[in-house]
Order: sequence, then C-alpha cells, then structure tokens
Amino acid sequence: MIIVTRPGVTDAELDRIREHVEGLGLRTHLSRGERRTIIGCIGDESLLEEAALRILPGVEQVLPVLKPYKLASREFSAGPTVIRVGDGAGTRVGARELAVVAGPCSVENREMLRETARAVQAAGAGMLRGGAFKPRTSPYVFQGLKEEGLRLLREVRAETGLPTVSEVMDPRHVDLVAEHVDVLQVGARNMQNFTLLSELGRVQRPVLLKRGLSATIKELLMAAEYIMSQGNRDVILCERGIRTYETATRNTLDVAAIPVLKAETHLPVLVDPSHAGGRADLVAPLAFAAVAAGADGLIVEVHPCPEQALSDGDQSLTPAAFAELMRRLRPFAEAAGRTMAEVAALAGVAA
Amino acid sequence: MSAGREAETAAFAELERLRTAIEELDRRLVELIAERVRLAREVGVAKRAGGRPTLDPSREAAVVRRAGALAREAGLAEEDVRDIFWHLIGLSRRAQAQGARDERDA
Repeated sequence: MIIVTRPGVTDAELDRIREHVEGLGLRTHLSRGERRTIIGCIGDESLLEEAALRILPGVEQVLPVLKPYKLASREFSAGPTVIRVGDGAGTRVGARELAVVAGPCSVENREMLRETARAVQAAGAGMLRGGAFKPRTSPYVFQGLKEEGLRLLREVRAETGLPTVSEVMDPRHVDLVAEHVDVLQVGARNMQNFTLLSELGRVQRPVLLKRGLSATIKELLMAAEYIMSQGNRDVILCERGIRTYETATRNTLDVAAIPVLKAETHLPVLVDPSHAGGRADLVAPLAFAAVAAGADGLIVEVHPCPEQALSDGDQSLTPAAFAELMRRLRPFAEAAGRTMAEVAALAGVAA
Repeated sequence: MSAGREAETAAFAELERLRTAIEELDRRLVELIAERVRLAREVGVAKRAGGRPTLDPSREAAVVRRAGALAREAGLAEEDVRDIFWHLIGLSRRAQAQGARDERDA
C-alpha cells in the first residue's frame, strides 16, 4: 500500500500516519519528492483499512501496490533514484549525466590495471571495473587474483580517484569486498543467490545487480527487492543480455528491458554491451542502442591487450577503441536527453 | 621542530583525544542498551502478570515515532535513527520472548 500525502504535509502529520501504520505491525518507508511525499507500507497489508487511512490528516490518496515488488517499484518513490558512488565527490548513477564504468574483465596485475584505469578515465569513464573473484564456467581456468586483486583496485582508486566496481560471489566475502571497493557487483549467475542478496542488503555500499541469463524482468526486480528489504536501498540494475536460441551472439541484448525497467522501477539501469554480444565489434552498436533506449549508463570491458587477456578477451575493447566509442556515443546521449562527462581535449589519444 | 611538524603533532593528539572520547561514549551506549534490555525484560514480566500480550505493535510504533521526532529536533538523519530504534525494539522483543520461555520452563 502506498500513501500519497498532500503538498505541504507537516512532520507531525507524517509522524501520525506512520505511527498508525507501524502500530498495526507494518513498516513504513518515506520518500520525499520535490512536491509530494510518499509513504510506502511494507508488511501484511490485509491489516490496513483504506478508509481509516484516508481520514488521517495529511493523506491525499491511498493506493494499493499490485506488483510483487514494493521497495523497487516506481510507485514507492517520489522520483527516480540517484545513487552516489564512492567517497567525497565520487560519481552518481541515475542522474542526467551518463554513468560509464569501464575496465578489464579481471584484474591481472598492477601495471595492466593502472594502464587501463588511466586510459578509460582519459576517455571519460567515471568508474573502474575489475574482477577479483571470477565466476568461470570451467573450474580449470583462471579464477581471479581474489584478495590481491581487491588491493590493486584500491591502490588504483587512490591514484586515479575513480570509484571501483567488483564482483562478490560468496556471502562470506561481502565484508571483505565492501572494504576495498565502492560498488559490489552481483554477477548474472548469482542473481538468485538469495543468501548473497540478503547479505548485500546489510552493507552500506551500492550493489550492481546483473540480470540472470534466463531471468525475467520480474525476477530481476524481485532480486533487487531482496537486497532492499534488508535495508540497502542503493541497487543499480544491469541488463547484460539473455540466453536465446541465437548463436551468432553470445547473448541477446534485451533492449526492450531498458524502457520496461525504467517504467517499473525508480532504480537506475545500466547496460553491459560487452557480455551481451560477446564480441568487441558489437560493443559500440549495442552501447548506442542502450543509451538511445534510455539506459542510465554502461559497463564496458576494456583491456590494454585483449588478445592476451586471461578472460573474455574476445569482447574486450582496446583503450583506443573505447575512446572512439565514447566519442561516437555523445550524439546518442544528447538525443536521449543525457549529458556526458567533459573530456580533456583528445586526452589519451597520441598526437 | 618545524612549524609544519608541530601542527601535525597537535592534530594527531587532537585525533587521539576525540577517539578516546568516542570510545568512552560507545561504552556508555552499550551500557544503556543493556539497561534498556533489562527494563524491557521486566516489562515482559509485568505484562504476563497482568495477562496482557507480550507483543504490542502500537506501543512500538509510538516509541519509534518519538525517537524520530527527537532525532529531527537534534538535526540527525531521522530515518537512520528510526532504523536504530527498530533494531533496539527487536532486541527488547527477543529479551521478552526469552523471559517468557524461561518462566514457562522454570
């Protein structure tokens, strides 16, 4: 149930409405918008009587939420959610400016991470990605540098100021990863690992939640709801392609999921064009499509020498190709009503 | 000793002083929480003696409402303080439930 208050509602009125709802054993969630304040009610709604709520001072409307997800639903928030990432100035996801995350699939060593970070930053990326714990399909291939990788990410963040994104796979590692990086990523294969999701709900770090390979939009939003219900409201959704019968591409980017998600939820939506296509030559066109469809940003794999990458080399862009992508992305961003970070003239491009 | 070094030492001493003060405050906070739990347990005894149910959501809601209003007056983040109080209430609830079990088993 959602209670929409009238404009100019007082704190005392809000207190009384919330006390009424909480007195019935439910919890409330307050969302203050520019014009309206919304009180979301979570719990056994059969206990709430609409008529009794309507007569409370300050209440304008009482609306049932028919969706199975509450905290993640559009109705529950007075406006789109903008998530602050990183300490200090940091960066924002869900704002007018596109959020671009770039970096290697996995952290391999200090030099490659540093080189990639400098290059993507020069090209206009606002965040650095890098896997330390890698969920690989085969147990016999490179599994990531683990804690050492996290330390390198932290080092490079200190050098460049770029907030970092890294995957956490094991609920036991949540605190460790949260200590070293700014955004905790849940990989597609873990989207419905409910133990992990609950654990992430208890940390004070934004979570980047990737859509599962065969997950519906509703299932993705329910996974976000899991995290949010534990207290962490900073969830960033990520469309990364779903499995279809098509074999020419690694996955099929569900472009329609972007506007559907934007209509269903107040949470920001990023798109991963690297995993979606699985091929470097598809990254740019998929990125353009994503931004044109209303995505709040992108997460792109960039590697200084893709042919030597220890994982996912086929889909990684070179730093030069990434800079080119960012340059060509600008008109798409503008057409979609977005802005992009200003880049120092031709930075990172050899004169 | 250079002026810069002196300022650095003074800042470090100040940081240490503040940290010690916070540690002391935390110790008192934990004592207060323990005291709150003790009182809640006694409330549980009184409720059972009076034949009233242990769980009282409207009373809990009033406690949280009051804490939220106080937080607002103190210029604190109201939602965060409300969250803290829901946690404190959870502690009290468990203490009362444990008390009821102990009585039954005695």
